[in-house]
Amino acid sequence: MTVNVSTAAVRADGLSRRYGATAALDGVDLALERGITGLLGPNGAGKTTLLSILATVNEPDAGRVSVFGFDPRDAAERVEIRRRLGYLPQELGYHRHFTVAGFLDYVAILKEITDRRRRAEEVARVLAAVSLEPRARTRIRALSGGMRQRLGIAQALLGTPDLLILDEPTAGLDPEQRLRFRELLSELPADPVIVLSTHQADDIAAICPKVIVLLGGRVRFAGTPAELAATAAGQVWTAAERDPGAHLSWRGGDGRWRHIGDSPPAGAELVASTVEDGYLLLSDAAGAR
Amino acid sequence: MRQCAGEDDDAALLRAVARGEEEALAALYDRHAGWLTVRMTRRCALPDVVDQAVQDTFLALWRGADRYRGGGNVAAFIWGIGIRRLIDAIRRENGARRRLPWRAQEPEVAVSAEDQVLVGIEHGRLGPALAGLSPELRGAIEATVLDGLTCAEAAVLLGVAEGTVKSRCHRARLALRAALAEQHGGSDSAANHIQAWGTS
Amino acid sequence: MTSSFPGPAGPLAGADGHPADELLAGYAAGRADGVGIWSLEAHLTGCARCRTTVSGHADSARLARNQSVLLVRIAVPEGGRMRHLLCRCGVPDHLLRLLAATPSLRKSWLLSVAGVLAVVAGEAAAVRYGWVSVGWPAGGLPGHPGAAVLAPFLLVAPLLVLAGVAVAFLPMFDPASRLAVAAPFSGFSLLLIRAVSALATALAPVVAAAFLVPGPGWLPVALLLPTLALCAFALAAATLMEPRAAAVTAGALWALPGLLLAAAHVPLLIVQGNAQLACAAVLCASALVVLIRRDRFDVGWTR
Repeated sequence: MTVNVSTAAVRADGLSRRYGATAALDGVDLALERGITGLLGPNGAGKTTLLSILATVNEPDAGRVSVFGFDPRDAAERVEIRRRLGYLPQELGYHRHFTVAGFLDYVAILKEITDRRRRAEEVARVLAAVSLEPRARTRIRALSGGMRQRLGIAQALLGTPDLLILDEPTAGLDPEQRLRFRELLSELPADPVIVLSTHQADDIAAICPKVIVLLGGRVRFAGTPAELAATAAGQVWTAAERDPGAHLSWRGGDGRWRHIGDSPPAGAELVASTVEDGYLLLSDAAGAR
Repeated sequence: MRQCAGEDDDAALLRAVARGEEEALAALYDRHAGWLTVRMTRRCALPDVVDQAVQDTFLALWRGADRYRGGGNVAAFIWGIGIRRLIDAIRRENGARRRLPWRAQEPEVAVSAEDQVLVGIEHGRLGPALAGLSPELRGAIEATVLDGLTCAEAAVLLGVAEGTVKSRCHRARLALRAALAEQHGGSDSAANHIQAWGTS
Repeated sequence: MTSSFPGPAGPLAGADGHPADELLAGYAAGRADGVGIWSLEAHLTGCARCRTTVSGHADSARLARNQSVLLVRIAVPEGGRMRHLLCRCGVPDHLLRLLAATPSLRKSWLLSVAGVLAVVAGEAAAVRYGWVSVGWPAGGLPGHPGAAVLAPFLLVAPLLVLAGVAVAFLPMFDPASRLAVAAPFSGFSLLLIRAVSALATALAPVVAAAFLVPGPGWLPVALLLPTLALCAFALAAATLMEPRAAAVTAGALWALPGLLLAAAHVPLLIVQGNAQLACAAVLCASALVVLIRRDRFDVGWTR
């Protein structure tokens, strides 16, 4: 399944970004449409750099970005992108003495909601969306990690953005909260372009109809989770003992060894490949494990 | 004034609000926001303005709950705050819309016409006399007497000039006096009530 | 007001003295059918039971929505006297709320500034008036004996103002700086608002202390231009280099001459004649650089 590049809402061509000697991004092309796209890759693969460039917070060394037809290199168009943007950075800091509602009010002002009453309505709306209403008056320093993450998601939702960029939004959330997060994303008004990054494959399988795998600063895969799983089809097997011929092996909870490799031995017990298997195979191939 | 069973709870809730307990304000809201919204809607047809006024009322309660000295009717206290927040909200709405304020046409914040009004046993005989007034005059009386507004505030509520409110009250008093004189022929306790209204 | 429904016997008064449910439902629905509404409202003021009935007929979704907005409005702090004063002067409310995030406008910061000033000014006064004897030689300019004691104050006071302004623009002091960059609100406007208010807030105690310090009468005025130039330089430098480096550079550019002149026992030179001209030049140049390169503040400094 490919995205029609010419009509895609968010496009990037040949993005490159270096930090010193390391290339965080090396010629990344991508095209995003309405709906949820997952960005999968290990830490250090360039996910945060890529998302920060899309969020106009960072500038690439080379390449072009187009968000809803706007080019972030132009100051006025950059503001237009930001008007349609909701961004959750990877490590969002908070003014710890702020209350939850006070912080959201502050971000709402930064999003140019100048009318005090409209701001209160917006803040109430996002608080309800992330189920933090009872905490409106709590100071941020008194919140648990999971609540702070939900607060981060809430501030990204202010102003009903058309582009929602979430960097590791499920970090620190327990399984029930992840479920609630998935429901939240599916209930968003205005069907925005959503891109979220994670290093956990099961998040992708559960939430994202589209996935992009980023390894070593390059896009290694773009398609559906099913297609990603299919790349490892016929290459995953289990056995009672560890098989040295496999690329990757680990022991599952049931005591059996799971193997991923190019050529399973004859008579091996093949199992259906998962998204994680496809991802691991790609990582291994990229040598970026 | 005999207090209903809920009255003590309301007073206790107000004291809790004065201490800064948010749950008490939420409970007070659950009890009073409904009738407050309805009562305000009868005076102002714009739902957004009424919503703002209801929020502003409870916000004012949150900040100024200690002004309730106890021993009074909580609902009346809330209405006293509420009607003034409604006036403010209408003023802001008028300011925001920048409409020409003093056009004497159908006011946006219309008071519904009533063909018969009863104000209570002691005013029973005024009922038919009041019913005989035109809606504009009755509206002026309702705003100034029933809601206890000043002429300036009533002017905002009815969407007319302050002078218009004063003259309508004056005409209403004259009309009532005439109607009562017809009914009862001569001075009357009811006429004294009208006299009392004249001092407001 | 009694709880029984007043009025002559008629269709309104129910058997138990309360208006009928249909009447209350009609009233709640806005169908004020004109019969006894005034009495009904008067009754409601005194009767919790009928109020509950009316509330039950009201639009519960609308009530719930208003309640959540109300609770948010309570949770957002309203601000103190200073903010009300500024609001009255016409400063928009949303700009004032932006200032709430600036550390250098918080009481704790201001108290520390006042504390440092007190120490430095107090030291100068103590030495000057002979309360404490330190080995300060009586240097300085003719007509201003003992000006050497002013060295610490002259060194520290503008640096305190610089520190306040630096805190206003350094990303490390704004934990949510990346959000501010990614938001449409102009980064340059945000910076200006914070820097100007930090400047004004820090200048007040500095100028006040300058009056109290034993020195020439023109000292408070003479301090203004160098302080402004210092802060403007820091902002201009921030468009060219990393903000922390910019702040440190600015501080060093003031501290070094200050220390050198103090060592030569002529600390007042730093605020006199030629120095004032130089500061004026730096101020103009810096302001120009800031204006030309203001986009830098919109893009942010990413690692």
